[in-house]
Amino acid sequence: MPNYKLTRREFLKASGASLFLAGIPLQGFTQDQPPGKISVIILEGGMDGLSAVPAFGDPNFEKMRGILIPENYLKLNSFFGLHPSLKNLSSLMASNNASIVHATSFPYKKRSHFEGQNLIQGGGLTPFSEKTGWLGRSLELAKIPGRALSLEMPLILRGYGENDNFFPAKINNSSKININLVEKLTAAHGKLGSDVFEKVKQKSLLTSENMPRDPQSLAEYAGKAMAKKDGPTASVIRLSGFDSHASQDDGNGNDHGIDLAKIDGVIAAYKRGLGGAWDNSIILTITEFGRTVAVNGTRGTDHGYGSAGIIAGGAISKSRVISDWPGLAKNEQYEQRDLMSTIDYRSVCAACIEKSLGLDHDLIASKVFFEPKLPRVFDYLFS
Amino acid sequence: MNEHFRVSQKLGLMFRPEEILPTDIKRWAIKQLQSPSPSLGIGNVGSDIKPWPKIFQPSLDEKAVKLRIHWETTKRERKKEGGFTEAAQRANDRDNLMYKKDILRFSHRNVYGSDQLRLRLMSFWANHFTIGSFDSREVIGHAMEEAILANFNDSFSTMLYKVTTHPGMLSYLDNHISAGPNSNQVRWAKANGEQAGLNDNLGRELLELHTVSPSANYTETDIRNAAKVLAGWGIDIKGNSLSSLKEQGGTTNLWDMYKRNWAEPGNKMILGKNIGTGKGSLKQLTDFLAAHEHTVMHLSTKLAEHFVSDVPNKTDVNYIASAWRQSNGNLDQIHTAVIERAIASKEPKFQLPMTWLFQVLRLSNATYFMGWNEINTSNNSLKFNMQPMQIFDELGQNLWAERQPNGYSSKKEEWMSGEMFERRIRFADSIWTSDSQIQSTSVIMDRIGASKETRKLVESLHGMSSRSKKNQFIALMCSPELMGLENA
Repeated sequence: MPNYKLTRREFLKASGASLFLAGIPLQGFTQDQPPGKISVIILEGGMDGLSAVPAFGDPNFEKMRGILIPENYLKLNSFFGLHPSLKNLSSLMASNNASIVHATSFPYKKRSHFEGQNLIQGGGLTPFSEKTGWLGRSLELAKIPGRALSLEMPLILRGYGENDNFFPAKINNSSKININLVEKLTAAHGKLGSDVFEKVKQKSLLTSENMPRDPQSLAEYAGKAMAKKDGPTASVIRLSGFDSHASQDDGNGNDHGIDLAKIDGVIAAYKRGLGGAWDNSIILTITEFGRTVAVNGTRGTDHGYGSAGIIAGGAISKSRVISDWPGLAKNEQYEQRDLMSTIDYRSVCAACIEKSLGLDHDLIASKVFFEPKLPRVFDYLFS
Repeated sequence: MNEHFRVSQKLGLMFRPEEILPTDIKRWAIKQLQSPSPSLGIGNVGSDIKPWPKIFQPSLDEKAVKLRIHWETTKRERKKEGGFTEAAQRANDRDNLMYKKDILRFSHRNVYGSDQLRLRLMSFWANHFTIGSFDSREVIGHAMEEAILANFNDSFSTMLYKVTTHPGMLSYLDNHISAGPNSNQVRWAKANGEQAGLNDNLGRELLELHTVSPSANYTETDIRNAAKVLAGWGIDIKGNSLSSLKEQGGTTNLWDMYKRNWAEPGNKMILGKNIGTGKGSLKQLTDFLAAHEHTVMHLSTKLAEHFVSDVPNKTDVNYIASAWRQSNGNLDQIHTAVIERAIASKEPKFQLPMTWLFQVLRLSNATYFMGWNEINTSNNSLKFNMQPMQIFDELGQNLWAERQPNGYSSKKEEWMSGEMFERRIRFADSIWTSDSQIQSTSVIMDRIGASKETRKLVESLHGMSSRSKKNQFIALMCSPELMGLENA
């Protein structure tokens, strides 16, 4: 057989991450603190929910997934297990600080990364329909202004003029930005450009600090920042590498396990950073789609539909695996190939916004997700 | 800006100080399509501009040999055989890895080359056909030059076929390990209790991103059948020798890596087209897709968004699309139509960070990238010690970075953030600070015919100190005019 396991390991070694912090109060702006903090981990590529949270209780699971199942899965309950790379999540589940939602998805069924990624960030009814993101709109409704910490502004946080971004630069031979220069540029540009240079000016008043850019360090940094009085309310971390078309099996290479371990490490780092603020925090994952139930020809899985969502944080008081399990038999699969989705993941996002930002569900449903009849699942997650 | 620089900003990389401005800018632009320039660059900071040495421009075969030596040496080093040292590993990287030199050569071409318009088009297509993995980065430069640029005087279908079968693309999207479900390879694997078969990664992106787009309403069966046509193409050029390719029923040409034993027998139906069997069937498929009406509209729109306007009007798109149809996808004709529409449209076009950087360097005649002799120096006293890879990473646009196959957006909303703009100020600062011989702001403004507004902005920062001169330079380069944005 070709030695493609090595290929994939090499790839993963260099995969990066980005951090975006938002809702950092601006100088001179006072208002009541929201009830909690919210962090979103975007899993780019389409996470395989059946790999992260295997459904051992399903009579077809072993048959469909046999070769991808490592021996040492962790047990959650009589039906579901956890991938061995998710050890920290497993202990959070044991201490009632995390839950799983399974067989869930945003309402997108066409299996394109780029349409899907746009939809899960934009939160609109169809891909590319929104120029702003669901978290940005939520912060705007909660009237929490702030900055994001990143090189580019991700769609999920757009939608609030006051949102800005930041990521420490490492550019040789460049010195502190001259405020007079930025003011002149702000005046010279039309509205589009001057709005952005205005933010450069605000940024030039701050001192930046050195920070490493690996996912765990970014998460710990975000946690610490959020824990501070007047710290940011929201953060977004983007992890790549979940498009597991090949060599997904755990084998010696621990291949897909490396990706899942990144999620586990990021959640642990958030907890370390947040300290006491963990108690009113929520961290949730989103991904553009799940993957095929059957294994493909290259020990991987292709683009699918339903996946699993991970929700962690002290705001959870009872751990659960929340699922209306659709089954894995051929006729139970979506289009006879993918894990079906039976829970609209927008409802999960809405519950997390309701809990952390204190917004009313109906308002979130109509103004954030443009779906007035979006079901409320708050009680399943937080009661 | 005068018409020369307005056009060279939208479609090119700006004229360098020593370049003579053509009398007819439109004729010049169209003629550019036929005028390749050699890979120009500098050996050392401060040395003369000359063509890159042949030794740094290896063929695909030579690259593959180096890659295998690098890989074999790395494996021995990992096993700690033969007393390998870190110095030996560094020497291995220096002698056998090519990507750092490839990025530098790409940067030099863009800064010093005289075929600025062709280079912009090369970057457009390299982004359209994104190859973005750690494994393929050694051959990304080759794909840009040989699969894309070298086919500019041919058709889109030729380019599409050469890119699709390029070893970089085949490994980036996992196709080199995909085998037809009814192929010999899969039968043998199953008999031995091993897993082998199809994945649809490249098949899907070929339809979704490279050609027809989701607007064609293809089905999962169409995607799977495209993956079946692709099954058998590709090999891990790092880990396998050409003789093993031959053993698998293939050829010994790295750009023609078809393994007969991995191919799916039988005809395949894709978007209503019956595609045959065997090696020639991929060309049948890419030719069909290249001429598909949804491909014509998808790519005419994408070209117009990149070169004409963020929101191109129907006339612009239809003009390019009709040139495409009338010429059966001849790239000269398509690119000519793009040039005509970009010149006719008076709308400013926001310049992405990488293009902007090249334009700043050409306008100001600054030396910013190191020379080819300096790529492996770790001498801290060297003023220009930012590696090209780091420069593009900090800019937020790097054609060698690991990334998703949809590439970078041409639309300004993706690039308008405080941090992105701060980077421009910092890079303009860094460029000015790095080269004391830099062209003065007033000379640049005279040559490009800077607008009254730009002159007013630069004048407002007037002062006697060198700091004010620097701020004037930064202001010019970050002015609405040179970023491609509207004035206040």
